[in-house]
Amino acid sequence: MSVPRREDLLALADSVLDRVGRQAAELVITEREHALTRFARNQIHQNVAESSREMRLRLVADDRVGVAEHRGDPEDAAERLVAAAEAARRLAPAGEVVPLPKPDAGPDAPVAHGPATASASPEWRAEQASAIAAVGAAAGLETFGVVETSVTATVVVSTTGNRRHAETTAASMICVARGQDGWGYADRHHRDAAHLDAVALAREAAETCGRNQGATALTPGVHRVVLSPYAVADLIAHLSDLGFSALAAEERRSFMRPGERMMSELVTVVDDAADPEGMPFPFDAEGVSTRGVTCVEEGVCRSFLHDSATALRAGVPSTGHALPMPNTLGPWARHLALSPGVLSDAELIEACGTGLYVTRLWYVRDVHPLRTMITGMTRDGTFLIQDGRLGRPVRDLRFTQSIVDALADVGGVGRERRIERDEAERALLVPSLCLGHFTFTS
Amino acid sequence: MRDIAELVLDVAAQAGAAYADCRVVQRQVQALSVKDGRFAEVTAREDAGVGVRALVDGAWGFASCDRMDAPSLEDAARLACRIARASARLRRVPVRLAPCPPAVGTYATPVGRDPFEVSLEEKMDLLIRADEAMGAVAGVTSHRASLEFVREQRYFASTEGASVEQLIVESGGGMDATATGDGEVQTRSHPNSFGRHQLCAGYEAVQAMDLAGNAERIGSEAVALLTAPPCPTGRMTLILDGTQAALQVHESCGHATELDRVRGDEAAYAGTSFLTPDLRGRFRYGSEHVTITADATATGGLGTFGWDDEGVAAQRTVLVDRGVFRGYMSSRETAADHGEPSSGAMRAESWNRIPIVRMTNVNLEPGESSLEEMIATTEHGVYLQTNRSWSIDDRRLNFQFGTQNGHLIRDGRVVGLVRNAIYAGRTPDFWRSCDAVAGPAEWRMWGVVNCGKGQPAQLVHVGHGAAPCRFQGVAVTAAS
Repeated sequence: MSVPRREDLLALADSVLDRVGRQAAELVITEREHALTRFARNQIHQNVAESSREMRLRLVADDRVGVAEHRGDPEDAAERLVAAAEAARRLAPAGEVVPLPKPDAGPDAPVAHGPATASASPEWRAEQASAIAAVGAAAGLETFGVVETSVTATVVVSTTGNRRHAETTAASMICVARGQDGWGYADRHHRDAAHLDAVALAREAAETCGRNQGATALTPGVHRVVLSPYAVADLIAHLSDLGFSALAAEERRSFMRPGERMMSELVTVVDDAADPEGMPFPFDAEGVSTRGVTCVEEGVCRSFLHDSATALRAGVPSTGHALPMPNTLGPWARHLALSPGVLSDAELIEACGTGLYVTRLWYVRDVHPLRTMITGMTRDGTFLIQDGRLGRPVRDLRFTQSIVDALADVGGVGRERRIERDEAERALLVPSLCLGHFTFTS
Repeated sequence: MRDIAELVLDVAAQAGAAYADCRVVQRQVQALSVKDGRFAEVTAREDAGVGVRALVDGAWGFASCDRMDAPSLEDAARLACRIARASARLRRVPVRLAPCPPAVGTYATPVGRDPFEVSLEEKMDLLIRADEAMGAVAGVTSHRASLEFVREQRYFASTEGASVEQLIVESGGGMDATATGDGEVQTRSHPNSFGRHQLCAGYEAVQAMDLAGNAERIGSEAVALLTAPPCPTGRMTLILDGTQAALQVHESCGHATELDRVRGDEAAYAGTSFLTPDLRGRFRYGSEHVTITADATATGGLGTFGWDDEGVAAQRTVLVDRGVFRGYMSSRETAADHGEPSSGAMRAESWNRIPIVRMTNVNLEPGESSLEEMIATTEHGVYLQTNRSWSIDDRRLNFQFGTQNGHLIRDGRVVGLVRNAIYAGRTPDFWRSCDAVAGPAEWRMWGVVNCGKGQPAQLVHVGHGAAPCRFQGVAVTAAS
């Protein structure tokens, strides 16, 4: 897998901007090679590869903004892209126009990149799937899952002088194991495919599946819980989406009350695009360097994420959390991390005493955004915790719970963190958590 | 497009494909939005590319590219075959495809007024009027109106001789008014939530939404919800409006009757289904009032086309017949497992995604009642409108939905507004409690533009015909 070099992409970008004329313009090019091998019932059933280039041009002049996006033949694309953006700009009504950001001298580093990912082949992915299936078959289980690799080059060039480039890689493996009467789950994500151990992944899923046979029903109610990193990632991603954006604060739909302790002092959540443990990436969709932002510090709400639009209105610098602009969604966290604690997973379970261990959450949706109330299901391994040890499996349960309330009652935080990816494919760095209460409703 | 497909299929055959198909897709999207009277966006998107699917040594490979030059196309065809050979390393049972006569023909969405011929000025004027009318309501803190139009040319060809050209046109729009205060955020939407309602139709679909004419209403409703009492808690009669009924069908029947989920193809992500093949023809899914079909021939639905993305003709399949579970949505491969022809439900998001089993238009067929009659014959219950949150388990059994608006019903009359309503249940228990569905006069096609499934993720547009319907003894409460 390879994408064009920095110089070639910048030259392409320049050739597009040369057609623009005197308007303020910003061009984002995303060049991507992506491959995904999918297996079910111990055999590969879908196996795909994609090669694509997207160009997005924003033109700003006379209080009007026009945007055009193009994916297709590059020779034809430049001319059509500029014409479409100009037509859109010319006919757009005058409105709030945010000036294009100027260069901030931030480096195009650090970037998550691994050579093994860039060189991954269809045969390598099939070998990994085979290794996972072999572990499952040896345990008498069926396995399902994914081996995925990608290389993405991103360029942001503007008439205000921005010239950003980053080439990043990502590799993921997911395994779900099915036995006679229950399932198990494991996933791994890393910049470098060489760091992913297919056999260890499969063993974890198989071990969870082995314990998750013959689950019995549990009466819904409020329980102490230990959430695995898979489940914690869902919680933190939703917490962020419900309040970390400065636009949410502007529109009075954020739960955050800066300066107020709303959660346990064990809870510190940052968005840190430079964290080498995560999947670092240096700039946002406007080419602004992404700064680390502490949103929750030892339980106290602190700072919001900004793009250039919210920053302008607030009179502060952008934190570099823009989605492609303009948009009505506002700034967005892409590198969330929950600070680690001091306990091992076994110590968390021991600290829990009596409660439930939750491997994974599923179909999590907002119920009452301002109260950070969400609902969803447990999935692929929910176990009783009795006398500080993992006990028998229980059937999946629906929960309906305020995230802030749950994070105000933290019994312990795991010391090991994992990279997780949420439904929006962003990376999170999270440990396990022991929570004093969690409400299961059916 | 034909030349491109012929080249790709020739190279795939030379590279060893026992079967191959090729889709060439050109897509044009125009998106407009106005927010809070100060933000305006016009975006034009163009997208073109080729996807080739090859069957080699009994296993699948798929490759896609957005370059249309001969070397790139040849590389994509050879890569699909190489990937298929890699797949065959972990393939015990060779892929079998249900027989299908090679499709040849053309199809185009019937369009009254081509949305791409309507001026941007006219569209922006509509949005500005709607946005202003929402903003004029005291207490509305945020408001947004948007339109989106899609024109997609698809050409499908296969080594079996299929050659199909289709032109799909979609028109969509919607608006949201949000009011904030006293620890509450309340939003009302029109015609549906989550951005917009969309149909396979021309600009006439947008005009029929009457965005400007409904703007003041939804603004006022959002403000009124701030001070409305919470929805009462208990088991009671539940009436759903057409939009919420559509989503209920989508989540609890549509996904549950996708045959790829049943055989485990989606187990690692979207999940499986409780509707296993042994239940077919004998399982009571719902009451006798419940008939649900998958109908790719329905007028205006986002799942309406001439042929699916492996060249199977559009058709109508009965999923639930007067309460009894009857059938699945399937592809040629999944149908072959059961010795059946495909039901024509193989769809891809675009050229860069492999087709998988997707909903077409999954419709709750109209009944004989009416909303007025349902309310008049309800002693104690709620009438809920417009989805606000939705969640269901990976087998499509345990669900919980929330709605934007709720009306309390006492002794056959609506007696007041309630907020933050949620209801929950288990799919078959819920549908078995259905005792009325409104008739054709209130039945309407709705569009869902964010149906997610597959790895890599695919967002597909699907349709749902539905009318208001009533259920007995449902667990209802308020999110608080």
